[in-house]
Amino acid sequence: MHRPMTTETFKLGYNDIHDDVIRSIVKTGPKYYIALATAGGTTLLCFFFPWFYQLYYGIGAAGMNHPGVWGTYLASFIFWIGLSHSGTLLSCVLHLTNSSWRKAMYRSAEAMTLFSLVVAATYVMVHVGRPWFIHWAVPYPNQMELWPNFRSPLMFDVMAIATYITGSTIFIYMGSIPDFAAVRDRTSGWRNTMYTLLSLGWRGTDKEWHRLHWAYTFLAVLIIPLAVSVHSIVSWDFAMSIVPSLHQTIFAPYFVVGAIYSGTAGIVTVMFVLRKSMGFEQYITKLHFDNLGKLLLVLSLIWTYINGVELFTAWYSGTSEEYEALNYKLFGYYSWLYWEMIIFCAVLPMLMFSTRFRTSFVPMLILSIAINIGMYTERFLIIATSLSRQYLPDAWGTYVPSPVEISIMLGSFALFTTLFLVFVKIFPSVSMYEVKETMATPKMEPAAPAAGSPA
Amino acid sequence: MTSNVVGLFHDPESALTAAGQLKGAGFESLEIMSPVPIHGVEEVLGKKKSVIKNFTFMGALIGGISGFALAAGTAIAWPHPVGGRPIITMPPFLIITYELTILFGILATVLGFFISSRLPAFRNRVYVPESAVDKFVVTAPCDDAEHFKRAEAILNDAGAEQVREIGGSDL
Repeated sequence: MHRPMTTETFKLGYNDIHDDVIRSIVKTGPKYYIALATAGGTTLLCFFFPWFYQLYYGIGAAGMNHPGVWGTYLASFIFWIGLSHSGTLLSCVLHLTNSSWRKAMYRSAEAMTLFSLVVAATYVMVHVGRPWFIHWAVPYPNQMELWPNFRSPLMFDVMAIATYITGSTIFIYMGSIPDFAAVRDRTSGWRNTMYTLLSLGWRGTDKEWHRLHWAYTFLAVLIIPLAVSVHSIVSWDFAMSIVPSLHQTIFAPYFVVGAIYSGTAGIVTVMFVLRKSMGFEQYITKLHFDNLGKLLLVLSLIWTYINGVELFTAWYSGTSEEYEALNYKLFGYYSWLYWEMIIFCAVLPMLMFSTRFRTSFVPMLILSIAINIGMYTERFLIIATSLSRQYLPDAWGTYVPSPVEISIMLGSFALFTTLFLVFVKIFPSVSMYEVKETMATPKMEPAAPAAGSPA
Repeated sequence: MTSNVVGLFHDPESALTAAGQLKGAGFESLEIMSPVPIHGVEEVLGKKKSVIKNFTFMGALIGGISGFALAAGTAIAWPHPVGGRPIITMPPFLIITYELTILFGILATVLGFFISSRLPAFRNRVYVPESAVDKFVVTAPCDDAEHFKRAEAILNDAGAEQVREIGGSDL
């Protein structure tokens, strides 16, 4: 359904959005179950099965070895944390700047944040090899007198990611309370019980709206600096080492920009799928793709600039180890991946200078996927190229992921999809009350039109 | 026996007008239920103050102090001297402080929201399901039948589509 991109939501009434969203929750076709079974099955087969294999045979099942002691597990971890960056962060910024186009898409963008974080946290478990000791990273009184070292960026990670997961969960939940109440009134049986509990007895009184507005605003203000700090801290995992090409001050902004970049591309992908599969054509429109496209373009330019700075700093350092790392990155074993990343993340996005491209759905979908492939490659290269060329030539080597690692990497996308599929059947994936807010409020008229067409 | 008068309106302006008139006629504890937050409620029902900001501030403050205390306390209890550097190293500990400031700030904001909006509330209260869809609802408690009649008249004059009585026993 291709409608003109102007104010099409204004043609709809309060009732329409209500019906459309509740239909998306309660009416489930066979396609959904097929998708869920496929995603769930793939998760089991490609993610959990290889992981159990690795737990059984030991971490040697993964291809990590000296000098490539970090591999795709960590690259995927950064990727998923990065993907989480656009949802809640973008939603908070757009909330505070009163951008009303955010309203139709922010709920699913925030869900993306939440599930990316869940996948990222699972990756930590996979990466550590012996996940049954993971609680040792948490500061709790214990008989072993074991206390974590708070000077380590890995401990910053634990604190930052725990806070981020808590914050994002609360943020998406708080924003959904009025919608849970609306769904509660329209459902019966176990759904009614569930939404009654989730909506906490919300009635939409003037006082409740007032309190929700302030609480939501304070949360947004708290979460923006949090999100920025999370990926800065992830970058310090690398930048605080003394490995050539990792030990750079540009890393924190580099990671944050890269995270928002890949996250925004992820939102475009998710919006496209949601729009097609759930029948949200009237709510997620060309306007959203146009705005997201502009944002992506700006991020792409910043990202390209920072990449240039990274190369320049390495060259300008004038030290042989940085030269070697630089040379290896541009022309070595992994160079084809590097140039693939440059094409996907710096060259192709230039297409978005064209308005026609930004408002075309399928090209935007393809580009958004290409950007995320490029961004995954970036995370892989940060780890693989730098660890392969550390100082002395007898410590050089290459890292190639093992089948177990590749399978888990592919399986993580299925895990994310599974979680998201469950989400769309529980949460109203378009925020009803906020889309209503963007519609024209019913006007005082002597002869009121029939209910259901207030606009 | 007390009951509640409930007027359903089609648009926010007439609901606000009705609320203003009810208030002028001496009705108290008015509530407006709406599908979206409406602007101009404060002009009619009086300025609202929320205590949430105090919660957020106190939570953030406590979080900051406890974050620093956690990191510094750990360092003092299990000293780990590195090359003559200080035991309490400010830059990394400030990061822990920063994260816990935000964590506690967030949790306290939620607590403040629950307390100040009196949620969760699973007991029966005056509620009109239509208000979650597209109706703007004004409600006020009435002491007796005569009281209710007056309120009904005011609501009808203001253009209510429907006026209902939700009694104490129905709740």
